[in-house]
Amino acid sequence: MSDGTQTLLAQWLLQATARLLERDERDAVLGDLTETGASAWQGMGEVLGVVVRREIALWYDWRPWIAAFGVALPGSFLLMGVSMSVSCTYLRLTGTAVGDVCAPTGHEGFLLLACQVLLLLAWAWTSGFFVGSVSRRTLWASVAVCLPPCLFCLARFPWSRVSGLCLLLFLPPAILGVRYALRKVRLRPGTALALALSATALMIYTWGNSALWILNWALILPAWCIAILARSAGRGAGA
Amino acid sequence: MLGEFEYLLITAAAGLGANAYGVSIREEIESTTGRQCSLGALYTTIDRLEKKGLLETWMGEATRERGGRAKRMVRVTPKGVHAAKTFYDAVIRISRGAAWVGS
Repeated sequence: MSDGTQTLLAQWLLQATARLLERDERDAVLGDLTETGASAWQGMGEVLGVVVRREIALWYDWRPWIAAFGVALPGSFLLMGVSMSVSCTYLRLTGTAVGDVCAPTGHEGFLLLACQVLLLLAWAWTSGFFVGSVSRRTLWASVAVCLPPCLFCLARFPWSRVSGLCLLLFLPPAILGVRYALRKVRLRPGTALALALSATALMIYTWGNSALWILNWALILPAWCIAILARSAGRGAGA
Repeated sequence: MLGEFEYLLITAAAGLGANAYGVSIREEIESTTGRQCSLGALYTTIDRLEKKGLLETWMGEATRERGGRAKRMVRVTPKGVHAAKTFYDAVIRISRGAAWVGS
């Protein structure tokens, strides 16, 4: 490879690496490198240093840990279970035999199915919103820890009558929740509380009909955390 | 209490006054201490100090020598001055009587 090609490659890599920084910081760092006359390779090392130190600094806080390992990882497992349960209940109610592996569905009926669907939407949306709003800059890590459970479950999916995509029913509302959080949409305390109360009421009804697993109660936590955060943000703004 | 590098950065920025930004602070630290200072260490420390309220930063003007890119200007806050003075006093006090301190 000629020197010119190497320099072009290094310049391209430098610009690509610098894209990992926020706009103002990218300007400052690239400007500093130009001013000091650093070579493209040296510059890339410096920019990588800034990026890596930035990421490490983010993980000194508790938020990325909660978002990734407290909500995203266990949430993806549980939400896949609920997605499966909803799909199986629907198929059974519409007369499609899916075997006896789709438990628990309890006293099945369309009302219960509707409650499960609403719960799935609420849980997935609130989980996505919580993960996105608690730690925007480490969102990539939260997404990354969701991937292994999803791929694992998809790979081991045993039923031929039900599509493996049924496991991922939770994804659209979860992505929507993340998008809302990234747009920095703030829920009003009243709205957040209403959402948490509705989800809890639905959960109690569904649980009362033996349609959910005990660990599904954990999925209610993001909704209540959002309600508490919205309330404290409202108080802070009012003070 | 400040860390050693935090103290160096605040002191360099305070000494540079209105000309305190990434490159000038870095050069000041490197020429004074003889140690390499990476941009990563510099900017993450600036961020940390800004979060603590010891520094203020803002984007300055873009210049031709920087390829039309803006500088991140730095100013030490009164709280930063106080923290640096506290650190300096502590170093002076603890150094009294040390073998390497001249009489």
